[in-house]
Amino acid sequence: MNEENKTILLVEDNPDDVALTLRAFKRSHLMNPLAVARDGVEALDFLFARGAHAGRAGAPLPTLVILDLKLPKLDGLGVLKALRADTRTALLPTVILTSSKEEQDVVSGYSLGANSYVRKPVDFTEFVEAVKVLGLYWLALNQIPPSQTP
Amino acid sequence: MKISSKAKLAAVLMLGTMVLIAVSIVWADAQVRAAVAQRRHSAEIAAALNSMRMVTFEYLLNRRERARLQEQAVWQRLERLFETPVGLGSNAASILASLRSQGEASHRLFAEIDAAPAAAGATDDIRHRFEAQLSSRILILQQNSLVQAEQLIDDAGIRIDTTQRRVVVIIGTGLLAMATLTGVAAWLFRRDVLAPIARLELATREVAAGNWSFELDVGSADELGDVARHFDAMTRALKDSFDRLELSNRELAGLNKELESFSYSVSHDLRSPLRSMDGFSLALLEDYGDKLDDEARDSLQRIRGASQRMGRLIDELLGLARVTRAELKIQAVDLSEMAQDMASALAKSQPERQVRWDIEKGIIVQGDRALLAIALQNLLDNAWKFTSKVAEAVIQVGTRREDGRQICFVSDNGAGFDMAYASRLFGAFQRLHHEVDFPGTGVGLAIVQRVMRRHGWVLGAQAAIGQGATFHFRPMEHDDERREQNHPAG
Repeated sequence: MNEENKTILLVEDNPDDVALTLRAFKRSHLMNPLAVARDGVEALDFLFARGAHAGRAGAPLPTLVILDLKLPKLDGLGVLKALRADTRTALLPTVILTSSKEEQDVVSGYSLGANSYVRKPVDFTEFVEAVKVLGLYWLALNQIPPSQTP
Repeated sequence: MKISSKAKLAAVLMLGTMVLIAVSIVWADAQVRAAVAQRRHSAEIAAALNSMRMVTFEYLLNRRERARLQEQAVWQRLERLFETPVGLGSNAASILASLRSQGEASHRLFAEIDAAPAAAGATDDIRHRFEAQLSSRILILQQNSLVQAEQLIDDAGIRIDTTQRRVVVIIGTGLLAMATLTGVAAWLFRRDVLAPIARLELATREVAAGNWSFELDVGSADELGDVARHFDAMTRALKDSFDRLELSNRELAGLNKELESFSYSVSHDLRSPLRSMDGFSLALLEDYGDKLDDEARDSLQRIRGASQRMGRLIDELLGLARVTRAELKIQAVDLSEMAQDMASALAKSQPERQVRWDIEKGIIVQGDRALLAIALQNLLDNAWKFTSKVAEAVIQVGTRREDGRQICFVSDNGAGFDMAYASRLFGAFQRLHHEVDFPGTGVGLAIVQRVMRRHGWVLGAQAAIGQGATFHFRPMEHDDERREQNHPAG
């Protein structure tokens, strides 16, 4: 496990939400490098080092994946399904961070193997708080499974 | 032919046969009586003729005056008997007529013998020969009469026998006719009534089982044929309306699906811009706050406030939609316990407030726990909110009986409202107070109303400005039936 490079992969298509999440991370003093995938396919390319991200072959997997549900091409649940189906990413901590609080989304998220389900609050102060707690838990407290390279 | 006409015809035929049998019995009785009378009459005539023969014989032998007088008496008896009217057949009547003429002849001859001694001038020999001739004629006549009287008696016997035979034949034929009639009626009843009823029974069972295309298709023109045709018409009408219902159900399901995807979009897509508005306003405030004047900072705060408020509105709208969509799971729900928990939570949220809760124990209704919790929470939230400016706030949850039915209510002594606007109370986003005084989106009571409507209950309100408000609803008391329908397995 590479202690120096605790990358977080943020899968989010809305540039505003990307900027706000980045800002929330900064305000929560989370200094981890952040990679952004703008749709489901790009997220999988990044994780499995294919397509535009083929150059990543051999690079360590991110420590945490933050996944939006509503994404172009392949949606969040599709990404999650693909992650859990592959032995390399089956144990990768994945948190769903989305606007939806539809019961069906929460249930399908957990049943497909999400580690957490967090709803994005409209109030940015609450949002920063949520991201802070999330980062603290998943990046500092939680003992993550042994890392694997793609 | 109609079944009623057939039944009438059968009854008339049956009655006719019975009347025929009754008439024949009466006729036979009369015939037998007449024949018995004839036999007795004939026997009397025979007896009289026999006596006549005896006295005639005696007179011819001894010429005694007593015998002559006796002949007179017997003749009078015979004459009376001939005069007595007796119902006779034509044969018997002719025999009787002949008997009468012979009797008269023999009586005349007797008178001639009687007169013979007075004939003067006749010699004894001639007189004897004349008398012998007369005597033998009388005796032959009387012998003939006796034979004919016997015939008359026999005729009566024959008459009785004939009558009896006729009666047997008539009654036998009548009974046979009745038996045939009964058999035919039973067969017709089977064919025209029982068989169609069995078909109808089958049809009702088929239709009840959901086979809407079942047709009786009965051709008979009687009453049951009419019933069958009406039944077919009814089945067709039912099938049509069910088809229409199914169509609109499919349309509704489609609409529901659209609504769901709309809700999903609302929940996801409409919230994102709000988050951006709030987030970047805050970023401005945080990063450039010191360079902005108070007015600019106030504007940014207002943008944030509006974004957050719209976020809440969207959430409540989705909540309203969820209440409409949710599937009802009817069970016993303890409203008292639920209210008690909510009251504790509210008291904890604002510990500085002094509110007296008056919650009746053991209010149990049949309903959906989750939906009733949403409704009760909204009612209690309202009561809590609208009593915030009252010094001695009292919130009451209880029941009362009205027309023998249980009514549940939640009441407070808070701000209340003007009943003139009560009609707007349960509409979504309808508010009867200014947001400055009592914050809220105006969706709460709309949600309560929908929950009640889903249960088939009616929500009502009673209030006056400054005197608090009471919201009441009447839970169904025949929920057992509903529960059966929703959960057939129990």
